[in-house]
Amino acid sequence: MAAPNLSNAAAIVGAAEADVIGYREDLTGDKATSLQLHIEAIKNVSAQTGIPISDIDGIFSAGWSGELAEHLGLKPRYLDTTSVGGCSFQIHVHHALAAIHAGIIDIALVSHGEAGWSYRGGGGGGGGRGQVSPGAEMTAAYGAFGAPSQYAHAMVRHCHRFGTSAEDFAHIAVVTRQWAQLNPRAVMCGKKQSPFGGPITVQDVLDARLIAWPLTLYHCCLVTDHGGAVLVARPEIARSLRTNPVWVSGAGESMGHQNMLEMEDFTATSASRSAATAYKMAGLGPDDMEMAMIYDSFTITAGITAEMLGLAPRGQGYTLWKNGDAAPGGRLPINTNGGGLSFNHSGMYGMQLLVEAYRQLSRSAEDGVNGVEGKQTSATACVVNGTGGTLSTTGTLVLTSDDR
Amino acid sequence: MAYNKPVPPRGQHTKPFWDGAKEGKLMLPRCRDCNRVHWYPRLICPFCHSTDLEWIEGSGRGRIHTFAVQHRAFGGWAEEVPYVTAFIDLDEGDRMMTVLRGVDAAKPEEIKIGTRVQVEFEQANDDTFIPFWRVGEE
Repeated sequence: MAAPNLSNAAAIVGAAEADVIGYREDLTGDKATSLQLHIEAIKNVSAQTGIPISDIDGIFSAGWSGELAEHLGLKPRYLDTTSVGGCSFQIHVHHALAAIHAGIIDIALVSHGEAGWSYRGGGGGGGGRGQVSPGAEMTAAYGAFGAPSQYAHAMVRHCHRFGTSAEDFAHIAVVTRQWAQLNPRAVMCGKKQSPFGGPITVQDVLDARLIAWPLTLYHCCLVTDHGGAVLVARPEIARSLRTNPVWVSGAGESMGHQNMLEMEDFTATSASRSAATAYKMAGLGPDDMEMAMIYDSFTITAGITAEMLGLAPRGQGYTLWKNGDAAPGGRLPINTNGGGLSFNHSGMYGMQLLVEAYRQLSRSAEDGVNGVEGKQTSATACVVNGTGGTLSTTGTLVLTSDDR
Repeated sequence: MAYNKPVPPRGQHTKPFWDGAKEGKLMLPRCRDCNRVHWYPRLICPFCHSTDLEWIEGSGRGRIHTFAVQHRAFGGWAEEVPYVTAFIDLDEGDRMMTVLRGVDAAKPEEIKIGTRVQVEFEQANDDTFIPFWRVGEE
């Protein structure tokens, strides 16, 4: 079948450079930074076109998109930070064309800044060594080490605002472990897989070693080796294969911040926006979802995200686990592989969400290897939400089964 | 004793902040167009996208927005566990991160969000004085 015709689906409407380019350090006496070159060019192209920076809803750059969005105070609907060398920007235009054609965004920023001269001598591939992100500069001194040290701040704020407790969130770890017990590939399935495997209680979670109060070890995801892959194809091909198709009915993305310092509301993530986009595209809402795959880097991540996805009222995400809805046999199964908490978590767990969502909706969740009796749900619609960084970025998919 | 914890990498656009810190002043970036203070320091106002920015001396006062108690750390900080990290709402607006002083990390239930805090500076080396926030008397 012919590819969709993207011809003339978008146009480049302005183009500008940074204020001083060339041998800037020699011309001005100051080293330029890459960030500065980006910002100047963005400011200039905004002035040239009359398009306010605040109207930009898609950001494309070679590795800078999160930092740029945060620096500009933007909450983009489309983030692309493809970095594949000097041709990256042609590729960004291609991706922007597709995103605009698809109706996801209206105005794409493609930006680049690179202090090649000012920071010369840093090895091949242009300058960069020694430049400091101001967000990192202003947080580096304060003894935060890795994700748990950061996420703990969100749980404290959630408890303060909604009267919740670490015990409430402990139910998420307990129920997620129940799902792991149905998955022989889950690290915490049972004693055969790990001396720490098998069922846990709320008290076990509360009594576990403190990592960053109020987070104990069992509030935190695993660190394991894992790989995964999915294939996406157009409908004609999808229909011709021996596997069951699972349809991408909706998709959305957004970000709140990159550095937790910039998190406006410690009890909320951009999943409210990415989910709204995905639900709208799908023509479905939270009440139509029959299961969910939610990135559970920590219990607090899953609890907050359930609220953002509209699966529970604000402040009450944890109740889905506490009252058994999310558990095997429950009304709204969540994290049916055992989650990042008890299945596997390699560092960037989002792929595992996709693999399990595919298995569930294609009716292949029980094969004795990846799941035993009781793991396959009857769900025909699943919301999948990945959370990246420090509750920073989110991507939401609404997937539906072929038999829906 | 010499400062044994990570010293912030010195950025290219924040000299007024570190110069002020050396004199015990908390310097904050403010937009001359919309008059709002932002943190961390920007090359462009994140609220109105003006590049007409200035540095002002802040009051050095704020409130605890949220906090956590760190039990797992590395390097110099490992010798201090448990300690309390926090985000501070500045009286001028926006938010800073810190390690909180004047609190008992063994009794996190007694630390209250909204509590008044005041900035102080610790010398890390000849040029770098790092702001930390302390729960005051009140």
